[in-house]
Amino acid sequence: MSIICLGIEGTAHSFGAGVVSSDGHVLSNIWDMFSPEEGGIHPREASRHHSDIGPSVIRNAMEEASINNKDIDLVAFSRGPGLGPCLRTTATIARTLSLRLDVPLIGVNHCVAHIEIGCLESGFKDPVTVYVSGGNTQIIAYAGKRYRTFGETLDIAIGNMLDTFGREVGMRFPAGPQIEREASNATNYHQLPYSVKGMDLSYSGMLTAANRLVSEGVSLADACFSVQETAFGMLAEIAERAIAHTKKKELLLTGGVARNNRLTDILSGVAKRHNAAFHRVTPPLAGDQGAMIAWTGILQHEAGDRLSVADSSILPKWRTDEQDIVWRRS
Amino acid sequence: MEPWNIGAESIIYRLEQWGRIILLKHRPQKPYLLKDIDEFLRTSRTSRECKMLTVARNLGVPTPMVYWIDVHNHSIAMECLQGKQLKQLVAELAADRLQKITREFGKLIGLLHRGGMVHGDPTTSNVIVNPRGNIWLVDFGLAEMNATVEMKGVDLHLMRRAFETTHWDFEAILWSAALDGYRTIHAEETEQVLSRVEEIRERGRYH
Repeated sequence: MSIICLGIEGTAHSFGAGVVSSDGHVLSNIWDMFSPEEGGIHPREASRHHSDIGPSVIRNAMEEASINNKDIDLVAFSRGPGLGPCLRTTATIARTLSLRLDVPLIGVNHCVAHIEIGCLESGFKDPVTVYVSGGNTQIIAYAGKRYRTFGETLDIAIGNMLDTFGREVGMRFPAGPQIEREASNATNYHQLPYSVKGMDLSYSGMLTAANRLVSEGVSLADACFSVQETAFGMLAEIAERAIAHTKKKELLLTGGVARNNRLTDILSGVAKRHNAAFHRVTPPLAGDQGAMIAWTGILQHEAGDRLSVADSSILPKWRTDEQDIVWRRS
Repeated sequence: MEPWNIGAESIIYRLEQWGRIILLKHRPQKPYLLKDIDEFLRTSRTSRECKMLTVARNLGVPTPMVYWIDVHNHSIAMECLQGKQLKQLVAELAADRLQKITREFGKLIGLLHRGGMVHGDPTTSNVIVNPRGNIWLVDFGLAEMNATVEMKGVDLHLMRRAFETTHWDFEAILWSAALDGYRTIHAEETEQVLSRVEEIRERGRYH
């Protein structure tokens, strides 16, 4: 018989609740993104946002899935990695629900959840995953019972870089979609520092130089175009290194920045060159949301994973490769 | 000509010339990249690799000999080494032999660092071992001169991560053997570089 999991996500700017059944159907997936009028994300303000809107987001998710309290068999929550205040608020809500409904509690790794929901959607069995968001830039693949980070940023995440650049030129958070729109009107490419180290990359030098381009009078469109081409080119290179190195035959693009069409084009070109299948996670499942937490919670639960409330402290620095992926064979 | 190996940024062909086997490393065009960026990378990496192979050899690090370079066609012709990648050997070598070879790998990276150079991609795929246990470093397309403590730290971080992701069962042995070797060559800076490695590991993630 199919079981129903309520998944709660709240590691950074977004709070989400999703209802997923163990046969892999996403019954609902509601989220709300904290988007300040100006400036970036302050962890404390984001956590206040989560506690303010959390209950109504969960209620909406349950209504849309047409379930009530007694239908929930499992509560899963994003235990880390993320911003401490946000994680604490999310964990408190999840613990309370687990105790109140008297159902098991499952702690889910946020990065692992991005991969698993992508695998559910694409049917991929063993992909190289490019996980790109505001706080993460990682190339991940499964090897020896773990999801291992083959490559990552050495300084700032790609989404953070785009947002910081956007803020500098007067865009609102999140800036990625506006940068993509501007870039489509560009006429010239201006060279920016390109920094790849093995399977890692670095964006801080490029960011500084991009800000300088704008202050030197380069058009906004050209600057946005140059930023995208350089940043995505670097990402493509490390993804390609990971594919060549692991010899895997699937490439999965996920995370909030997966919504970018130019990035999608470039990475599908990489996959093609190596005869690998490519999938970009669809927008509703690409960003931070509860369905991915619910689905991964189901996988963990089916593999016998349990978490007592007493042991459910948050893990703000939980690395992707610190968890045995007990539900995967091979 | 049939490719012998398709890597991330190059295609390698084997050809016979002057009665010997030669490897031709070609950096092909990548249609999915912006042309300006692609052309810049293919040209700069080809000429950099060629130069760095020689600089490294002058620092005492065995590297394949370069026969010719064709920057216009983004190709380098070099010696075909008779050996296997360390990556393929890790699981099959006896522990003491694996340690000895990895210590040697650490020494070679130490020689580069002492000479102010970083390799840029020091994975076990880029170490060639022959049956007698002699080793070479290859693939210098990401190598850089004027290395700072930060650059050396990144180099060792990359080496350690390659051990972690590809040889997880041997990670501790490999890392400690490599550091043993590194320390014998580059002792004065080892601790400083290592503390930077720890710092680098923690960057780029949520805190």
